[in-house]
Amino acid sequence: MPETTDFLYPFIEGDETDSEELLEDLARSAQGKWRQSWKLREATLSQHEGQLQATAAAMAERFAAGGRLFTFGNGGSATDAEAVAHLYTQPPAGPAGGPASRALPARSLAEDQAVMTALGNDVGFELVFSRQLIAHGRPHDIAMGFSTSGNSDNLMRAFAEASKQGMLTVGIAGTDGGRMAAEGSPVEQCFVVRSDSVHRIQESQAALNHALWAAVQAVLPAA
Amino acid sequence: MVAEHTAMGDAGRVADDLARASLALARRFSAGATMWCASPEWPFHAHHVAVEFVHPVIVGKRALPAVTVPPAADMVATLRASVNPGDIVLVLADADDPRVLDTMRRGPAWGVETVWIGAGPQRPAPGAADHVIWVDTDVPLEASELFVRIYHLLWELTHVCFEHPGLLKPEPECTDEVCITCSDEGRPAEVVTVDGDEAVVRTPDGQERIDVSLIDAPAPGDLVLVHAGFAITSS
Repeated sequence: MPETTDFLYPFIEGDETDSEELLEDLARSAQGKWRQSWKLREATLSQHEGQLQATAAAMAERFAAGGRLFTFGNGGSATDAEAVAHLYTQPPAGPAGGPASRALPARSLAEDQAVMTALGNDVGFELVFSRQLIAHGRPHDIAMGFSTSGNSDNLMRAFAEASKQGMLTVGIAGTDGGRMAAEGSPVEQCFVVRSDSVHRIQESQAALNHALWAAVQAVLPAA
Repeated sequence: MVAEHTAMGDAGRVADDLARASLALARRFSAGATMWCASPEWPFHAHHVAVEFVHPVIVGKRALPAVTVPPAADMVATLRASVNPGDIVLVLADADDPRVLDTMRRGPAWGVETVWIGAGPQRPAPGAADHVIWVDTDVPLEASELFVRIYHLLWELTHVCFEHPGLLKPEPECTDEVCITCSDEGRPAEVVTVDGDEAVVRTPDGQERIDVSLIDAPAPGDLVLVHAGFAITSS
């Protein structure tokens, strides 16, 4: 926690006994962060509005041509990759009476522990995603990687491989975008959540993922 | 997309619930708990919670033992075999998920602290878990975004609590002879084996042999209330 609230707690040495003051402070802190997260989400979505539409149109074209979506990331970002694959393949039911969303082919490259450990052990962790793209990738596919720093080596290797194969490359990054957003990066569409907090970045990345999915659904040609 | 009124309307209540759950988690972790995370419908959320606690994003914060219950596993069977008294079971699920309902009601017999995070107009019944952290939206993607905020804050606040060691000591043992909490008024237990009018049951204090002649013959896995060595009701 960046806030230094120690001065509020004269019993910091261990003989503090009344938890009410702490609970109030925790709740206040939670509300503040919740609000901060909300503001970052709104700013992030509005900054990327045009890019979301352009990327969705490019993705819809790939899907219409038979392309598949491959997602990847490390740690919490691996769970984002899994969440996005889940969203595309098993879209939630919309409001009653509304149009049903289309299920689209998508898969997280971080999900198969046999493949992940085989590649990590045999060829190195920096190659765990790129080697899978060598095996599976086709030119119409889409490679989407998630990183809060934008610097993960195994993501950069995967984007380079995807780009070489003619796949559409989409990056969901944070901080200043790191290597994913740098000059000469193989990431064609890089979304950057501008924050220094990994948690706040991931929260806005979730919003970007959902907005991008909704935009893809909106522009997909009728089945 | 998430409507602002929804996101902010939940914030006050969620913040209070998060504060209490965080202090409870910090107390349990301080006493050696493992946290078991499960989400049958959204396994990625359970994975995210576990990795958050095991591998903190802020360098220097304690790595805490958190585990994901494999999504394909039988939740009750896995947890029954795995949890120790004093552990934490955290689930992300709808209020009517039968696997989660069956898990949570065993919490008192297993001696675990239960946290239930979910969304929708229907909330779990009062007492269904020690901590219920709920948002009202019934739009799945709104809920999913709010869950990420909720478990990030749960982690952040839990670590704030570690800065207050005086508040993490175990509650003092109750020595009052008429205290309902500590007396043998009716302790929850889970049946392990049945042998005629007797059964071996699991309680937070370990296994014990009890008399089950006052209730319909129970089966392994049933929950019973134990009073003075007798099962007095089953559920």
